[in-house]
Amino acid sequence: MKIKLIVWRQNSPTDKGRFETYNCDEVSPDMSFLEMLDILNEKLILQGQEPIAFDHDCREGICGACSCTINGVPHGPEKATTTCQLHMRKFKDGDSIYVEPFRAKAFPVIRDLIVDRGAYDRIIAAGGFVSVNTGGAQDANALPISKHYADLAMDAAACIGCGACAAACPNGAAMLFTAAKISQLAFLPQGQPERKKRAIAMIKQMEEEGFGACTNYYECEAACPKEISVRFIAKMNREYMMARMFSE
Amino acid sequence: MVLFNYLKSTILSKVVMAVTGVLLVLFLFGHMLGNLQVFIGSEAYNSYSQFLQSLGEILWLIRIVLFIALVLHIITSIRLKLLNRCANPTRYEVKNYVKATLTARTMIWTGIMIFCFLAFHLAQFTLRITDDESKNMKDMNDKNYSMFLKDPRGSVEINKDKYFYAEGIKIMKERHDTYKMVVKGFRNPLISLLYVVAMVILVFHLNHAIQSAFQTLGLNHPNYWPCIQRSSFWVSLLIGIGFCLVPLSIMLGFVGAGV
Ligand code: HEM
Ligand code: FES
Repeated sequence: MKIKLIVWRQNSPTDKGRFETYNCDEVSPDMSFLEMLDILNEKLILQGQEPIAFDHDCREGICGACSCTINGVPHGPEKATTTCQLHMRKFKDGDSIYVEPFRAKAFPVIRDLIVDRGAYDRIIAAGGFVSVNTGGAQDANALPISKHYADLAMDAAACIGCGACAAACPNGAAMLFTAAKISQLAFLPQGQPERKKRAIAMIKQMEEEGFGACTNYYECEAACPKEISVRFIAKMNREYMMARMFSE
Repeated sequence: MVLFNYLKSTILSKVVMAVTGVLLVLFLFGHMLGNLQVFIGSEAYNSYSQFLQSLGEILWLIRIVLFIALVLHIITSIRLKLLNRCANPTRYEVKNYVKATLTARTMIWTGIMIFCFLAFHLAQFTLRITDDESKNMKDMNDKNYSMFLKDPRGSVEINKDKYFYAEGIKIMKERHDTYKMVVKGFRNPLISLLYVVAMVILVFHLNHAIQSAFQTLGLNHPNYWPCIQRSSFWVSLLIGIGFCLVPLSIMLGFVGAGV
């Protein structure tokens, strides 16, 4: 396959950045998108040019490190798939593909396609955990959890924190991420003691990071590689309203 | 002001958008049903109009609540729009929308157009300043008020309303001829067209808005969510058609031939 790549290049956070065009002539349909970039990078290095910087780690769709907005959709055109799991057979011979970094004010570009997603970590640090005072190990079945709630918590916990939701959102909002992280604990008994405090603290942090407000475009749900439902955003709104109204 | 503290929270801002929006939608639905009485006839229509005017303080209460809702709705939408522009300053070179509908992406613009239309609409039918004649259109109520009248041949004022002796035996109350005002207004095809276009824009706004309000208020459950999404479309279409029927049928001469 012949593919024309139009890639965002930016040397540093303060650099203005520009698009550069690369022609990849021997692309196999079995390559993943990142493998295609690997091969292009090797070519660039041999030519004495700077390789394209991009994020990746597990390359099996579970860590959330890979990013990129491909032809205007975070993680590219395939539904429920991370960039590392996207294969070139999804494209046609002769296609032109725009590759841009995830864009949102709270995700500043570090270099080329790499953005700083530390804002998500700081939202978690604000309350996305359960405080445990370690003592003797608890009996395994002491805390009964119904299958229904266990499933819901697992659906929310499927979030890999990749940032696609905020990158897809025309408002640069991180509601889907924050909602998944608040919900997964709100469904479980372990999450109850800090439930209200957590909702308020995480949402406050989310706002301080400079993420926008939800206007229910549902682009986040469409872009999410783990298909997290916007239903969790509705749940987060309920959690927040209850916490603001009824916390002591 | 403490009252506006909610603007600092993205989620509370959305809640205010949703609650004020729902209030306005409920009003629109009632307003549409009221308007449809034009098909019953001038008597029913003018009586309805007279009934609304006679509400006095209650009418003012409704007006004030709606006004506050509208102002909060607009202030909050502008503040959210600015915030969201800030949160996403660098646009993509290529952007492919997957789920965001055209109606969702144009909320601020359809909102602004509805506001402009609202200003014209109030000037035309509430303040009655677009047409010199419309203020002075009078109609006679056909209820019998003879018990109020000492001299059956004259006229008398009770509570600032004028009562007349007419038609031999009946005593009639003078009131504004809203029916005539509306019929004369919509005979002008330009005005009818303006209303129809405005209602198309309103349908756009509400199509996204109604389901959005449910989602914002946390009312999204798999059991009823598909129903809400469909209803959002059908209810907004129903409101739009209900409003459009009045100007269209008057312009085409089905209603108001006697005026
Ligand atoms: C008859 C008048 C109106 C009605 C019935 C109405 C109704 C609604 C409703 C129910 C919502 C959904 C709230 C939510 O997203 O949860 C909404 C959203 C919105 N309205 Fe209105 N609205 C009206 C007039 C206006 C006007 C005059 C503006 C002018 C600027 C406006 C701007 C907006 C915007 C920008 C949104 C979307 C906010 C967002 O995306 O979060 N609306 N409207
Ligand atoms: S590299 Fe881990 S999800 Fe793509």
